[in-house]
Amino acid sequence: MLAALRLRLRALFRGSAMDAELDEELRYHLDAETERNITRGMSPQEAALAARRGFGNPTQLKQEARDSWGRSWLERLVADTRYALRSFRRAPGFAVTVVATIALGLGLNTTAFTIFDAYVLRPMAVRDPASLYQITWHDRGDRVRGFSWRDYEDIRNTREALSESFAFRSIFSRIDSLPAYGQLVSGNFFSMLGVGAALGRTLLASDAAEPGTLAVVVLSYDTWRSRFGGDSSIIGKTIRVRGQAMQVVGVAARGFGGLGDTPLDFWAPATMNDVLFDGDGAFSSHQTEAFWLIGRLRPELTPSQGSAWMMSWLRAHHSDARGRDVPSDATVQSRATSIALTPEFVIFFTPIATAFVLVLLTACANVANMMLARGLARQRELGIRLSLGAARGRLVGQLLTEAVLLAVPAALLGFAISRFTIGGGVRLMFATIPAELGPYLRIVPLAPDGRIFLFMLVAAVTAALLFGLAPALQATRPNIVQATRGDFDTDIRPSRLRNSLIVAQVTTCVLLLVCAGILFRGVGRMQQMEIGIQTHGVVRLDLQEHPGARARVLQLLHDRPDVRMLGAASDPPFGRRFPTVPGGAVNGPVQPISYDFVTGSYFGLFGIPIIRGRTFTAQEERAGAAVVIVSDATARALWPGREPVGQVVRLTIDSTSGALAPFRSRREATVIGVAANVVLGTVIDPLDSPVAYYPSSAENGDMPVLMRVTGPQGLAARRIDSALAQRVPGSVEELHTIDDYMYGGIYPFRATYWIAGALGVIALLLTLTGVYGVLSYVVAQRRKELGIRIALGASAWKLVGLVLGQSMRLCAIGLVAGTVLALGVARLFEANIVRLDTYEPAAFAGGALLVMLCCLVASYIPSRRAGKADPMEALRSG
Amino acid sequence: MARKSAKIDLLQGTLDLIVLKLLRAGAANGWQLTQSIQAISHGVLDVNYGSLYPALRRLEARGWVSASWASSENNRRARYYQLTAAGRKQLEAERASWERFSQALGLILQSE
Repeated sequence: MLAALRLRLRALFRGSAMDAELDEELRYHLDAETERNITRGMSPQEAALAARRGFGNPTQLKQEARDSWGRSWLERLVADTRYALRSFRRAPGFAVTVVATIALGLGLNTTAFTIFDAYVLRPMAVRDPASLYQITWHDRGDRVRGFSWRDYEDIRNTREALSESFAFRSIFSRIDSLPAYGQLVSGNFFSMLGVGAALGRTLLASDAAEPGTLAVVVLSYDTWRSRFGGDSSIIGKTIRVRGQAMQVVGVAARGFGGLGDTPLDFWAPATMNDVLFDGDGAFSSHQTEAFWLIGRLRPELTPSQGSAWMMSWLRAHHSDARGRDVPSDATVQSRATSIALTPEFVIFFTPIATAFVLVLLTACANVANMMLARGLARQRELGIRLSLGAARGRLVGQLLTEAVLLAVPAALLGFAISRFTIGGGVRLMFATIPAELGPYLRIVPLAPDGRIFLFMLVAAVTAALLFGLAPALQATRPNIVQATRGDFDTDIRPSRLRNSLIVAQVTTCVLLLVCAGILFRGVGRMQQMEIGIQTHGVVRLDLQEHPGARARVLQLLHDRPDVRMLGAASDPPFGRRFPTVPGGAVNGPVQPISYDFVTGSYFGLFGIPIIRGRTFTAQEERAGAAVVIVSDATARALWPGREPVGQVVRLTIDSTSGALAPFRSRREATVIGVAANVVLGTVIDPLDSPVAYYPSSAENGDMPVLMRVTGPQGLAARRIDSALAQRVPGSVEELHTIDDYMYGGIYPFRATYWIAGALGVIALLLTLTGVYGVLSYVVAQRRKELGIRIALGASAWKLVGLVLGQSMRLCAIGLVAGTVLALGVARLFEANIVRLDTYEPAAFAGGALLVMLCCLVASYIPSRRAGKADPMEALRSG
Repeated sequence: MARKSAKIDLLQGTLDLIVLKLLRAGAANGWQLTQSIQAISHGVLDVNYGSLYPALRRLEARGWVSASWASSENNRRARYYQLTAAGRKQLEAERASWERFSQALGLILQSE
């Protein structure tokens, strides 16, 4: 087989040498035959003639011999390539347009794929990532539950389903006044993952042996480089984590940022938990479930077998659980990559991927149209070749060679475009988000890898087939008799294929632009919407708990002249979605009620009017009294038409549930006031969902502190921050204005509409050039017909109308289809994002109008050319 | 003329079999092969030289024979062909299938 291949290659590259060999061989044969004939008694001339007669046609013989070397298919390929290159040289504009168009589509898709790859496909840089699974479980109250240290040690030591496992919990802290993400991990974390140290050492089992003893920390390589300048004398130095002095013992290997989707900055022993989280009690006698668990599933087990084992373990170890605390199911999820490919993720990612693929398809459609037009223009050439006996497969092969030759440079250019958009996109993201939030952003490295090249290869080849195959098949279908006459006029009716491509493009465009429009309007609304609270001037402070710090900080803030009002809330606005608890009116139906623990000053702080009754007193705050303030909507829902003040909110909770401990003393709380409706939690929550406020004191731990400041809020926040850093070092975990939180909440929508808008504009441009190109071509083809029409007395305007009408018909079909699709997508949006008004007439009308205008412009120029068709030319050529 | 008409044109594909069989006896050049065919078949089989050389190239491309230049008996450079291991296997396979074919044909021709 190898010898045969060598022969073929030799035939390709050293064809002339092999021809010479054949010549020599044949000469030898002739001479030998002649000689024999002479010995048989022929005259020399006769002998030579007889010998030659035996051969027949020597040229044909050589050709046959050459074909049997298998030189032909390679030779054909070379010839096709050479032919295609020559035709590109003849029409460089065509080649450049095709390459640029496909490159744009490919580049954008590669960008999307690069991000997808980095988070979902790229295995973690640890030992045997495929066997890593995170174990979580839910209780009957549908809460996600973790593990206590005792649980972890038991699971680690039984080694039944998991051969190894480590415990971890996330920790957030400021390090040198910059936000830092970290994890508290069990001592086997680094050795189990096979991650070494770039400097110093990693954490060892002995680091996490005794609770609260070893205050050591390992930094990630990237953090060490960016925050500490890659200074190797960092080893042995002390940094403050949540106010606690920790000694740096090492820097983890380069490229390791933990197993999550956010690259981490540091790791510390899990045994430091109770020191860093003051009073958490993970290592007290009643151990809290502070930890999560990741383990190596035994290779012979499937994930579902793993979760079955986990359930049996949970039943055995939580046999005393009652009510909502009883385990209901265990989840075993792969941690081989940053984000596991779960059905939820697929649902989330599909619309994004679809938008990008649509742009690539639009680009393909454009090129396919150009190729179709070109194929028709070359029909005469192709026809002649067909009539001279070229096989159809041969011609299709040649046109496909052209397509592939265009796709390869397009892929290269597309790769460059994708690198550029990734770099630019990341920079743009950091440039557009509020400066305060920049340090919180973490992006996994987006370097290209083998999978990305494979993706480009597959995408480029698919694109080549898409834009090359249809036109190739269509163009080689002419009638031979017509072809040789060069008479195609009966065959130039714009084909159905071309029309449907244009319709599809218009549809895509409308869809993308309308979606962008919906998001655009939605974000505009979010920024100006009636949220019921005055966010401006309110600063949120999250404290890192350590003994005594909170009281000192509160005193300090109380004394500051630029702090007008001080309060606290367990869930300040725009933080997270409010938690809920089941409850309702006495004897009324039970429903989930959002709750928030707040100080009495909370309502004044945010300018939320108390419509009826009063706010909490200081005594009620401190005592955690069984009183409650409800929102107007809640009051109307629970006691319609009745006086809410004095009613009772009853919570349906069971006594054993640990997480709802704060409610134990207020299972029945008396309504003392009604507050105006406000937005709860996030920007996408509705204004009027039921909420109950319970009193709590600002001195209570874990509650973010809120203050209304005077003067420019950003400046005040920074001043307070530095004052606290000086007076109570290490006390501040986060300090930002509520407006920052709100912008942070809106940002994803803003980014989405920018992306959707950009994709829409690109699709629009592609459609514009597509419509223009196709119509120009159609007009050029119909010139003779149009000329005759003019000669017969048709007015120029009538001809313009003729061509315009044709393109606008296609445009109209696309508009309708796109609008219908957009309505469907809007429904999807609405199902997920409550605050988005998706049936946005302006967005629909705007998107459709824009596309229609562009189509009109794109078709007007070629159609004017139609009006100027020269009747003389038509008559002459006719 | 009578002698000429007694000659038989080769069946499609049988030339490969013949060449492989002849090369089994040892290496030979193209001219020698034509001589052997005529001699062994008592001049009944008429080999068109024009088809012999393409056939040789074909066999070479498939890896059934290998070729090398060597000097012939009259001291001139000639291209000698040799059976490869793959060629030997191919010969056995083709011979077996030819025998099956000729048996079947014989049965058909003998039946009434």
